Amino acid sequence: MRLAKRHGTKLEINMTPMIDVTFLLLIFFMTVNQVSKANRERMPLPPLAGSHDQEDAELIINIDRENNIIVSPQFISLSELASLLAEKIAGANNDPSRLTVLVRVHREADCRMVNQVVNLLDDKFKINRINLGVEVPR
Amino acid sequence: MRLTNRRHGSKIDLQMTSMIDCVFLLLIFFMVTSNFNRTERELDTGLATETRTVKAAGDLAPIIVEVIRGDGGFVFKVGGRQIASREELTVVLRKIENKLDGAFVRATDEAPFLLASGAIQACKDAGFLKTTYAPRLDTK
Repeated sequence: MRLAKRHGTKLEINMTPMIDVTFLLLIFFMTVNQVSKANRERMPLPPLAGSHDQEDAELIINIDRENNIIVSPQFISLSELASLLAEKIAGANNDPSRLTVLVRVHREADCRMVNQVVNLLDDKFKINRINLGVEVPR
Repeated sequence: MRLTNRRHGSKIDLQMTSMIDCVFLLLIFFMVTSNFNRTERELDTGLATETRTVKAAGDLAPIIVEVIRGDGGFVFKVGGRQIASREELTVVLRKIENKLDGAFVRATDEAPFLLASGAIQACKDAGFLKTTYAPRLDTK
């Protein structure tokens, strides 16, 4: 006895769950990627073209409009920053040139804290090259 | 035996659940990506303290761009000339022939960081190979 005809059967791929899973994975990886940028305080930076694209920095120093220093993402004093820098340099085999420092300053801040940070970096730790964060104007 | 008439009065059923799934996913996707709208870049600069700046100035006579308080607010100063805008500063710096010795940017504590970073950008745009930021000693 022949129960069913096998002719004319179609192989159907259900696209909906596949799109579901793909988007979920996409959003997952994008969110994870954003966690790595948590050290960058959200604030308006000087609207300038800059000289190069973003690089990974070992230390990101944020300076807000009120001249507070924010590092991942806690308010710290200049002396605490000095201790942190000493730790980072020790971790880089005591070679300050191996440490990449990004300084992000609020576009409405003055140079007071920037100058103090520069004096600390250059005078005490012999770090004589930094990157300044800027924002490409729209 | 014909049990039902499937051809007449048939309805198109839309699967709402999967559509809402996809719509919400797209919504979340665009909400997440909208954070990337502000493109951030970096401006690399050397650092120097006042003593090193003066020493370098004696040795190589580099260009020094200062951000100082003028009559109508803060301005750029290059070799005794006061310049109001970054665009004008870039034009002036472009005319300087010796760009190999680099340029120094100095700003007082009260100077807006926007102008200090603008001066560094102007030096880069003008083609100076090395730009160094140095705080001014009289502000310490």
